[in-house]
Amino acid sequence: MRGFSVLLQKEFREAWRGWKFLWIPLVFALLGMNDPLTNYYMMDILKAVGNVPEGFEMLIPELMPVDLLQASIGQFQTIGLLIMMATFVGSISKERASGMATLFYIRPISFSAYFLSKFIVMSTVSFISILAGFTASVYYTSILYGTLDIGSLLASFFTYYIWLLFVIAVALMMSASFKTVIATTCAFTLIFLGQIVDMIVGIFWTVSPWKLASYGTLLIRGTMDMSDYWWSLSTTAICTIICISIGIVMMKRNASMVKI
Amino acid sequence: MMEELAKVPWAVIAPLIVVQLILMIVALVDLRKIHATNGPKILWVFIIIFANLIGSIAYFIVGRRQS
Repeated sequence: MRGFSVLLQKEFREAWRGWKFLWIPLVFALLGMNDPLTNYYMMDILKAVGNVPEGFEMLIPELMPVDLLQASIGQFQTIGLLIMMATFVGSISKERASGMATLFYIRPISFSAYFLSKFIVMSTVSFISILAGFTASVYYTSILYGTLDIGSLLASFFTYYIWLLFVIAVALMMSASFKTVIATTCAFTLIFLGQIVDMIVGIFWTVSPWKLASYGTLLIRGTMDMSDYWWSLSTTAICTIICISIGIVMMKRNASMVKI
Repeated sequence: MMEELAKVPWAVIAPLIVVQLILMIVALVDLRKIHATNGPKILWVFIIIFANLIGSIAYFIVGRRQS
């Protein structure tokens, strides 16, 4: 792990200069605010925009605080992941394409240190992001609806974080293996197609990384089968480690793809 | 006019506006400092200001050119 701290510093500085520590958390905070607010003001919004006829009555279901957290996680799962993967998926392949990677690859650095430093910086960014997102969502939920139990909330938060680590590992692995365009396609396909498949035929299995996001809210509801939960969690952790190892190997192999 | 303004639940709305403003200002500051963007700079100014939330996110994802 030669030069690990130097590489880590370089990655942090790059993310800082690109304002990644600021704008991605802000986007997640906005996504988190979105659902509690729109649900709370649904009647007002309908009155303001949609020609509601005289005497029209609509039954809006009584929402529990956990329902709103689930809705916010749903937002993170689509728009949040889209933004996060779009910003991270080019991090290795773009360096190769622009020729900047030459400056690193000619030095005696270890590829695993380089890969891991990228992974650590990205996981820090995503940690701050979902912290902001969860805080915003829970803040609005607690003002407008009611409070959540802090212990299970933390459990759900870290469950979601493990899932995000898996997503980052997949994005980085693809970035190390292919050119930017192909890497983006592959990473998006794997993550989003996995979600769709899990949604459609997911009742037939209970253990998969794609289920973790919904398991987080089940933890709060208290209807979670704990053995399924632990199995999914460990499967995800193993998949993450496998993705990281493949990424390091592919990064080494593709070092010759650098444009000079 | 003032009564209308007073009726708005500011405790609820204010954080939303603040976050949006910060995002816009950061995007504009970055645009001021950056050397070159994908596409004309003046276009990004208009996108960031008028497409308020989507505009600044779009700028950060596709507008910044990495050199």
